Amino acid sequence: MSNHSKFIRPIQFYFAFFISIGLILLAALIWSFYSEGNRLQQTVNEQTREEAKKELTIAVNNVLLSTQNQLQKLAKWDEVHQQYHDPSYYFFWHDDRLKESHFYQPYYDQLELYTKQGKLLMPPSKKPKTGLPHRNLPNTVTTTEPKVILKSNQEAHMNVFAPIFDRSSHDVLGYVGVSLDIYPAILTHNQFYYLDKTSLRFPGDGVLSPQELIDHIEFKPISNPINSYLWELIERFIAELIVTLILLALTLPLLFKEFIHTPLTLLSEYLQRLRATPYKKQKPPKRTFWIKEFEELKNAIYQYHHNLQKTQLELDEQNLIVWEQARRDALTNIYNRRAFDETWNEVMVNFQNEPIPTAFMLFDCDFFKALNDTYGHEVGDKVIQAAAKVIQQTLPMENPAYRIGGDEFAVILQHRTQEEIEQIAQQCLDALSQYPYQTLGIREKLPFSVGISSIASSHDDNLGALPRQADIAMYKAKQSHHSKIQVYNQTLESVSSALVSNQILNKVVNSIHTGKHMQMHFQPILATDKSNCYYEALVRVQNGEELVYPDKIFAVVERRRLEVELDRQVIQKTLELLDQNKIPKGTGVSINISGKTLLQPDLIELFKPFREWLPDYKIVIEVTENFLIDHMDYAQTVLNQLRYQGFLIALDDFGSGYSSIRYLAHMPVDIIKFDMSMLKALKSDNKTRKIILATAEMIRQAGFDLVMEGIEDNEMFEEAKDAGATHVQGYLFGKPKPEFSKSCV
Amino acid sequence: MYKRFTAICFSIGLLLSYSLAYAGVVTHHFKTLDLTAEAEYQTGNPDKPAVLIMHGFLTTNQFHTIKATVQAFHDAGYTTLAPTLTLNINKRRQSVKCNAIHTHTLEQDQLEISEWIDWLEKKGHKQIILVGHSSGSQELLALLASRKDPFIKLAIFTSLFYLNGEELGTNPAELDYSKKALEAKNNQPHKYSFLFCHNNYYATPESFLSYQKLDRQYILEQLRNLEVPNYTIMGSEDKRYKSVGNNWLDELKQTGTNLVIIEGANHFFSSEYEFDLQDQLVQITNNHFNQP
Repeated sequence: MSNHSKFIRPIQFYFAFFISIGLILLAALIWSFYSEGNRLQQTVNEQTREEAKKELTIAVNNVLLSTQNQLQKLAKWDEVHQQYHDPSYYFFWHDDRLKESHFYQPYYDQLELYTKQGKLLMPPSKKPKTGLPHRNLPNTVTTTEPKVILKSNQEAHMNVFAPIFDRSSHDVLGYVGVSLDIYPAILTHNQFYYLDKTSLRFPGDGVLSPQELIDHIEFKPISNPINSYLWELIERFIAELIVTLILLALTLPLLFKEFIHTPLTLLSEYLQRLRATPYKKQKPPKRTFWIKEFEELKNAIYQYHHNLQKTQLELDEQNLIVWEQARRDALTNIYNRRAFDETWNEVMVNFQNEPIPTAFMLFDCDFFKALNDTYGHEVGDKVIQAAAKVIQQTLPMENPAYRIGGDEFAVILQHRTQEEIEQIAQQCLDALSQYPYQTLGIREKLPFSVGISSIASSHDDNLGALPRQADIAMYKAKQSHHSKIQVYNQTLESVSSALVSNQILNKVVNSIHTGKHMQMHFQPILATDKSNCYYEALVRVQNGEELVYPDKIFAVVERRRLEVELDRQVIQKTLELLDQNKIPKGTGVSINISGKTLLQPDLIELFKPFREWLPDYKIVIEVTENFLIDHMDYAQTVLNQLRYQGFLIALDDFGSGYSSIRYLAHMPVDIIKFDMSMLKALKSDNKTRKIILATAEMIRQAGFDLVMEGIEDNEMFEEAKDAGATHVQGYLFGKPKPEFSKSCV
Repeated sequence: MYKRFTAICFSIGLLLSYSLAYAGVVTHHFKTLDLTAEAEYQTGNPDKPAVLIMHGFLTTNQFHTIKATVQAFHDAGYTTLAPTLTLNINKRRQSVKCNAIHTHTLEQDQLEISEWIDWLEKKGHKQIILVGHSSGSQELLALLASRKDPFIKLAIFTSLFYLNGEELGTNPAELDYSKKALEAKNNQPHKYSFLFCHNNYYATPESFLSYQKLDRQYILEQLRNLEVPNYTIMGSEDKRYKSVGNNWLDELKQTGTNLVIIEGANHFFSSEYEFDLQDQLVQITNNHFNQP
């Protein structure tokens, strides 16, 4: 991946890269094409020059040969012989007649007749009638070899001689000499296909032979029209190609920017905006893209995001509904325990950042259990509904009420003075007292208690203690008949712990917080058919030589609201014993869990470490009937999850409370533990005994295990078995001890 | 036996005659002129007359009309001599252009013709026929006026006209100029109009003036006075009638010459009219000499 990541570059980079590569390749191609063409042209030029040189050689030779032929003819001309016979009119003949004759070529500069001794037949004319005097012919012929005379004015003249023979004796009669201008002579006698006749130059001066002249003449080959035109075309093509490439190189980035980069950038920015603010409605780029796919992509993204937003909106609405449902108490439609926990956590976090005055207010109906026992759960539920409604309506708009327990309502207040807080509490209490409970069929007065705890805006304040403090204050209010609103203060701590000595209280509290001096005692629970056995874990605190038993432990726990902390320590201690293999395999352990712990959001996680022991141990979680009834929906959810994982749920103290058969059918439990009073009731009247036996029968028929507690002797054991108990527990089988009873093993 | 002897003698004679036969260029040097001239000489039947054929103005014996004439007589068994006048050019072989320097004179021409007749006679020809074409006819006519030669048996003039006449383009002013120049002993060449040479006949006054003698009257007069049997052959389509007038033939006829007109022929008897000319020449000659 890291190897490939270096190739990830912006599109401009690759565009520039490929354009550069393309241009370099094209440039190389053009250069190759140009070089090849240039080489070809040079070859053609060299060949043309060679041909031109040949033409020049032929031309010079032609001039020489042609002139020699002309002179030979001239030597046979009657009029030449006439001059030799009678040169009386030589000048007339030489200056007029000769130049009119066809023998005299236009490029002749001078023509003279010589005697056989080589002397001029007659002196040359002093001045020609036309043109410049060209007197290149010698006055005496010493040789008839042709000569080329170069002039400094770049003129070149060729002197050619031919003998004239006497017609009778055939002896040399004389000579005819002609001096001709080579350039026009060459042009007259030759056609040139390769030689540029206008380029002929005769530099220098002196006398040369005709062959030497050929090497002396400066010339240029004619430009091959096809070759030149072709080369011109090639050069023009290359120039146009280069211009086109430059224009293309200049235009392509613009086109690329216009057609590809800008759309991609805008789309990318658009996507970034969408990613940054997915819930905000973002209009697509206004610009119209020329490329159809980009335009479609833009519209598709917009449409997709629009649909996504729409779906998200619907999802949010659904989530809100779910969220609301999850945080609303089904009975009262006010916020439930979960909503409270979330809000409280948020308050805690915010307080860390910005401490603000915060108060915690706890409402509780004084005799709600009695009310339920007296009027039934339906009336009890209506009372809860009415109380919730009254409290919520009385509270300020920004302060919702939370139902955190069966008849417990919590309120969080911030930015309020103590006076305002107490005033709000009083208003709520007044409204509750004024509610017409008789409409619900309740004849008695229904008092409520309010516990308030508050802190100022300081980091040193222990915000987390507020619920417990409010709970203590509420407990105090419940104890009072007149002051139904109690504000927590430090003195209430001592009041709450009055039932136990300060020394024991400190020991218990310390033990709950640290785990020190806490002991776990185990009492066996035996199957009546002796097929299995497990232990109920019971907590003890070592106070010096003495043990502090649950009555005092729970008095402190309830007053200090330390149920969750205690349960966590019990779980931790039990796990340690399991780790130490102190609990006999094949048995099990049953742990009592308070209602508050069951309401903890991390309940499932709390029991997660037990899962590894489930194959070898029976792990039972004992809960109280009251908790199940108060939080039936929530209890079903979390306890069924634990059951699904392999835990067994036991309903403890069945028969000590409502013991509603109606609820029993829906309870997420596997084991029903009859309260000790139920076993004792078997000995009471026959009617009660029959009901208890029928209840036990019904429980077993429903598939529950039935545990009867408090078996102290064989008679009770027999009665329990007769009543249909599947398991029994009591001193008969073993008292709670730190070690594990052998009877179970 | 006699027949055999006759045949043998005939064969020997034939062989001898062929061994003496000649066909080629002969030269003759004119001492007074210090010039040598060339002539085509072809021997024929010794019993037949020799024919001297004179070319026209500025031409040579190679002129086609002359060659056709030579050929006709040669074919008919006549010895022919066709000289080329030197016109002051040694062994002249080419026609002389109008703009060449003309220094020759009629008198020199007559001298040369006369010496060629002498040459024939020296060759043993006792019957000589003179045949001229155009100005060659005039020069023969002029020569016959002064040379009374018994060996000259017949004269045939073809395309006979004259050289001097304003109708022919002769410019009196030029005549005056040349005469004055000659009188002033200024014999430098000058360009004249003469026959077909329009303003470019480059001749000395002496040369130019010598030919002016041959005017219309002179020709007709000489022809009328000619003692040698003569024939005159004219082409009916000779363009010179436009200059000299259509009555020229009548005037010729009135001189007593035996006028033969070849219908359709031009001045040079060109083309198929060469044959007509040849036929007429041979026919006239044969008739005149009773040749079969």
